Amino acid sequence: MGRDEDIRQAIIDYASKGAKSKFYFKDMLTGVKKTIPDAGASEVKKVASAMVSEEVMELLSTGSSTMYGLKGRGISVEKSGDAGG
Amino acid sequence: MGAPGQEKLWDKEEKEHKKYDDIRIFTDEQLKNYTDDELKNFKVKHDISMIEQLESGPWPSFVSDIKREALHRHKLGQDNLMIPADICDDLLGIVELSYKEGETHWKHGGIVGVLGYGGGIVGRYNDQQAQFPNIAHFHTIRVNQPSAKFYTTDWLRGFCDIAEYRGSGLTNLHGSTGDLVILGSFSDQLEPIFFDLTHDLGVDIGGSGGNLRTPSDCIGKARCEFACYDTMDLCYEMTMEFQDELHRPAFPYKFKFKFDGCPNGCTASIARSDMAYIGTWKDDIRINQDAVQEYVAGKIPVDGGAFAGRDWGKFDIQSEIIDLCPTKCMKWDGKKLSINNAECNRCMHCIDAMPEALRVGKDQGLSILFGAKAPILEGAQMGCLTIPFMYVNKPYDSQKNLVRKVFDWWIEEGKNRERIGETIQRVSLKTFCEVLGIPPMPQMVKEPRSNPYVFFKESEVPGGWDRDINAYRTRHPR
Repeated sequence: MGRDEDIRQAIIDYASKGAKSKFYFKDMLTGVKKTIPDAGASEVKKVASAMVSEEVMELLSTGSSTMYGLKGRGISVEKSGDAGG
Repeated sequence: MGAPGQEKLWDKEEKEHKKYDDIRIFTDEQLKNYTDDELKNFKVKHDISMIEQLESGPWPSFVSDIKREALHRHKLGQDNLMIPADICDDLLGIVELSYKEGETHWKHGGIVGVLGYGGGIVGRYNDQQAQFPNIAHFHTIRVNQPSAKFYTTDWLRGFCDIAEYRGSGLTNLHGSTGDLVILGSFSDQLEPIFFDLTHDLGVDIGGSGGNLRTPSDCIGKARCEFACYDTMDLCYEMTMEFQDELHRPAFPYKFKFKFDGCPNGCTASIARSDMAYIGTWKDDIRINQDAVQEYVAGKIPVDGGAFAGRDWGKFDIQSEIIDLCPTKCMKWDGKKLSINNAECNRCMHCIDAMPEALRVGKDQGLSILFGAKAPILEGAQMGCLTIPFMYVNKPYDSQKNLVRKVFDWWIEEGKNRERIGETIQRVSLKTFCEVLGIPPMPQMVKEPRSNPYVFFKESEVPGGWDRDINAYRTRHPR
């Protein structure tokens, strides 16, 4: 697998196995670094942004901060309005 | 037309500029569709007797404004709107309920946005959707304002039409970061709003969440003689350069740039931005001694005549200028004004009061301050002067490279929901200076001995030192 694919897999592993379904970028970066220690913030961001565009991941914003999550895991778009955002 | 050397740019903008008639959604009759009598007799569909008390008194009332919009929307009719015509009625209804109960029914945040963007939209919902279905969604859309907030009336009218058609018709011009804000839209209207904004008005949405927030700037060289660099151009260039940081979140928390052209700080960047750019100069304040004499003689009004409405007595340069200088660096001998420029701390009072006699220096650039924020984790913080002077030349590579260095470091070092000012506080300003590759300054030491920001390393002290930490601990246990 290429570097981007490795990072993508590490993101999916982190996002699907963690206790929390929504997490900060920083936590995701730490999670990815456990598998790929030299992963840089910018390359993880690039892959994560592509995954958001592909609708594999989604973003939850409180307005002041933003969290990532795997689409379909935890709170959903439809539910976000009914479950405290 | 346009400034010398920019004629072609102006022509290009003129050709691509859309007139209101090209993009308008409503007719003039629809926009002016109620009379004062109708407004006087208008009742919204909920009992709002408590909040109607806010209409009494001499000040403007948001209740009156929302009632006007409610009537306007009723008369437009649902066929002409993409958002419930009664949205303003329900908005007033839920505010009344909150006043009665003393608690809010709003929830904010959620998984709403436009595809590929991680900011600019803030989800809002209410928890009384059965009673107030027309505000089940009440999302906020932040729109990136043009540099220095220059608009044409055509543009503003187009913006208002979109806000009315696809939103509640209520806007906030401007939010505290500077964005134009469309209030009260539903999730299914977010992509159409984004399309209209980008295609018809040529603007992007702004920042929110853990992103670079919409950069903002003062009016700068467009109108102000004190501006030491082109704030509008730098703001635009930085906005374009850091698009990815604006729209795709990776920061621990919000990050704000603001650009002030001079130390007057009309954008208040020193208090409101994580990274403040403030215009300054290296050489001496320019003095026109003849004009100073004219101010003293009362031939030129002080402060541009701003205080002319009341008799303050004859202008006294000693008490009104010299004695008010915070660093006491000015002298007036009755004939000549002199300034010890090395001691000037850029308070701007003398220049503001006598602009025809005093001007900012010619060797201009900017200072950069880091770490200002409103009180969140700790108290409010003002920016800390970190880079005293930097020249500002297009294409602004020095400024851009510095920002990249800061972002790379903060993404790695910052904790979740920690502003960069708090990160700097936690790891020390000395560490931050090392990251930027700049030497510390004595002014960075806030409280010598009790709270030094800067510690010397052994390698920095000639001859080093001979100290055994273990021996020290035997005398001073933890």
